[in-house]
Amino acid sequence: MQPFLVIRHSAANAFADMRAIYTWRVWLFGWLGRMLAQVTFFTLLGRSAGGGDERIAYLVIGNSVMTCALECMSVVASTTWERISGTLVLLAAAPAKPVWVFFGRSVQWPISGSGTSIVALFGLAPLFGVTWRPAQVPVLILLVVLTALTTYCFGLFLAALVLNANGIRNMVSQTAYLLMMIVCGVNVPVGEWPAPVRVVADVIPLTHSLRAIRLVAADAAPGPVALAAGQAVLWGALWLTAAYFAFDAFMNRGRRAGGTDIF
Amino acid sequence: MSAVETRRLVRSYPGRKDDSGRVRLALDEFDLRVERGEVHGLLGPNGAGKTTLCRILCTVLLPTSGTAEVLGHDVRAEAHVVRRSIGIVFGGERGLYGRLTARQNLRFWGALYGLSGRELRRRADVLLERTGLSERADDRVDTMSRGMKQRLHIARGLVTDPPVLILDEPTMGMDPVAAHDFREMIKQLRSDGRTVLLTTHDMREAEALCDRVTLVDHGKVIATEPTGAVGALLAHRNRVDAAEVPPETLAALRAMPGVEAVEAGADDTVRIMTVDAATVTEALRLLVAAGVTRLSTAPPGLEEVYLSLIGKRGMSVRR
Amino acid sequence: MRLFLNGFTFQLRLARTSPDTFQVCVTAPLYTLIFLSISEYGTGPDLTAYAIVAPTLMSLWILALSVAGTALTEDRDLGTLEGQIAAPAPMGLTFLGRMCSVVLVGLVAFAETWLVAGLVFGRWLTVPHPVVLGACLLVTGAATAGTAGLLSPLFMLTPSARTLQNTFTFPFYLLGGVLVPVDVLPHWIQPASRVVFLSWGADLMRDSLAGPAVHNPVGRLLVVLLLGAAGYGVGMVLLNRVVGRVRRTGTLSQT
Repeated sequence: MQPFLVIRHSAANAFADMRAIYTWRVWLFGWLGRMLAQVTFFTLLGRSAGGGDERIAYLVIGNSVMTCALECMSVVASTTWERISGTLVLLAAAPAKPVWVFFGRSVQWPISGSGTSIVALFGLAPLFGVTWRPAQVPVLILLVVLTALTTYCFGLFLAALVLNANGIRNMVSQTAYLLMMIVCGVNVPVGEWPAPVRVVADVIPLTHSLRAIRLVAADAAPGPVALAAGQAVLWGALWLTAAYFAFDAFMNRGRRAGGTDIF
Repeated sequence: MSAVETRRLVRSYPGRKDDSGRVRLALDEFDLRVERGEVHGLLGPNGAGKTTLCRILCTVLLPTSGTAEVLGHDVRAEAHVVRRSIGIVFGGERGLYGRLTARQNLRFWGALYGLSGRELRRRADVLLERTGLSERADDRVDTMSRGMKQRLHIARGLVTDPPVLILDEPTMGMDPVAAHDFREMIKQLRSDGRTVLLTTHDMREAEALCDRVTLVDHGKVIATEPTGAVGALLAHRNRVDAAEVPPETLAALRAMPGVEAVEAGADDTVRIMTVDAATVTEALRLLVAAGVTRLSTAPPGLEEVYLSLIGKRGMSVRR
Repeated sequence: MRLFLNGFTFQLRLARTSPDTFQVCVTAPLYTLIFLSISEYGTGPDLTAYAIVAPTLMSLWILALSVAGTALTEDRDLGTLEGQIAAPAPMGLTFLGRMCSVVLVGLVAFAETWLVAGLVFGRWLTVPHPVVLGACLLVTGAATAGTAGLLSPLFMLTPSARTLQNTFTFPFYLLGGVLVPVDVLPHWIQPASRVVFLSWGADLMRDSLAGPAVHNPVGRLLVVLLLGAAGYGVGMVLLNRVVGRVRRTGTLSQT
């Protein structure tokens, strides 16, 4: 019960930040436009590389879903905003677990990211020949939200690791999402990569949730879809657990080392 | 059981060395006892170890050795209990979420301390009322004045209704009006029966607010006394202030056996520090005989005690 | 010249302390990996040249955006922007120096992407027209620096330059034919592409990596240079106006 309460009140911060950064117009023409351009960019590349309709559909779906994963990686940067407001030391003194504070703190990204992915899947993908049946729509929306949340949990873990390393946070989030674009089956199937790369792909929730989405697009039976979605949930939960301990470890390191360089 | 008790508390920061290359101790065998319901001042220059002590007491810093207890609970072993029984207020403007309203800030912190539902809303309203922020409760914090932010800091510290409140340099950077308001608020907290541990390097603040003060320097306790009685430590050391004193008279005063120091002040004034009442009489006689008419005597304030015990470094930061 | 060098070395020092500036060196090879994996999986023509040219140009562009946006906002946050404006030195020249040093880092990206294509995918790209390629890299770099000059006053007037910075990436890669040649885009958009220096630079760079003789290299290099210079010129006029307005209204820190 208490984690939800903390997340809810911490999310007030997320929405306040969102309002400060974006107006509706800026989000629509700035952010959404840029993300749709990115999806188009990679899809057109596939066309130049000589892909048929199926290949184009593969790319446009993969990159549409990727947009929410990309936005969720912003949690790495926004987590460090807590240091700017000078509240880390007060969080360390509070009885609540820090992971819940940080979970709520950046929750604007999975929400906005889900929106971007949904617009891309249902607005942009049809322009490249992808068609959806009404029955697929709710399942796809659900799976996009699942992708956003589980990737967000992965991002939270990375955020906990670099909370103290301001200089490299952008590099970490960018490298993370580019690697996801390479190995998670966004542009080429996971099976194309050598075995060690596939192992890395397996621990990232996006690999599984995207597989679930592709199964829905291919009209697969509910069983395999649920299995893939379940694996995404499992890995998301594991990354959240890892983030839980990583934030605790960060606070404990601060308690041992002391000094304003930590908090 | 005391509200706060530390025994032989030591904290070192690896990497911070003194001149001779030894690890410098921020707290060095620090013994402190704060009774329940008292307003206790920790007085000392910057770098004396006050903030380190506050951080240990609010569980964001671990002791290197020794023990620290809040209401009988060890800060290391029972941190979760300690966190619920103390409120913290740090000076300065940081520590609030500028893009949130005052009310949202309070509710956020209340939620972190386990409040929920009607209780959380009521608590936030009561504190906003009490700190005079009700009218601005739904304004963004970054639109507020410094004084208002500081009041919100105190409201934040009180959000769980803690029996013990730790205030680290709470009036730092406040303008005089805000500082006055703040002192009134501390008096209210005392009448609630709360224990307040307050660090400051401002003598007047300590004199105005505290029941007892502990003088701290170099991570060690120099003395703990009731605020009035600290003066008594040097009670016999009365002072004489005089203006336009002829040089030969000054020389005579300096040579007088009971005179500890003669300090030049602004506008051709001097302050004569004496070791006993008899010397005061003798000094006054000399000054009057020399035709000096602007004269006053006073008992020593906390400032004299402070300067006398800690030395004349005043507020300079220790390296 | 001294001002130019000052800006140049200042930016290099900044780059060393802020790892973000070097992130293009990490991201460029990753983009090559993505592009080449897409190409490898397809059945169409060999796109190796594209996969090397695109990350290089993207790196240049990102650096230009980052310097135009971050450097100025950092200056603003640190309060040094006021100092720069108050200083008698022409700000534009210092700025151009800062830009060029960053463009140098962007050239490193080319070497990296070339290596990745060879090491990971065994596609060792030969360079049949090294002179044209070298000239193209330099000229495109300079034009990027010039265009950043156009962006800087724009960023200065925006409270969240970061948002603009982000928006100006992929739409421009598309428009500039960075990866997919401009001919693939709808016809109505192609004239707009021709105003973006990236489209000329990208085409020329790809031609320099292809076998046949490069058509009119000098003329095309000149176009890139001219577009970059035009961007820079307009940018400096804008910058002076912004600075002038700021001096009158004194609202620099709030913008």
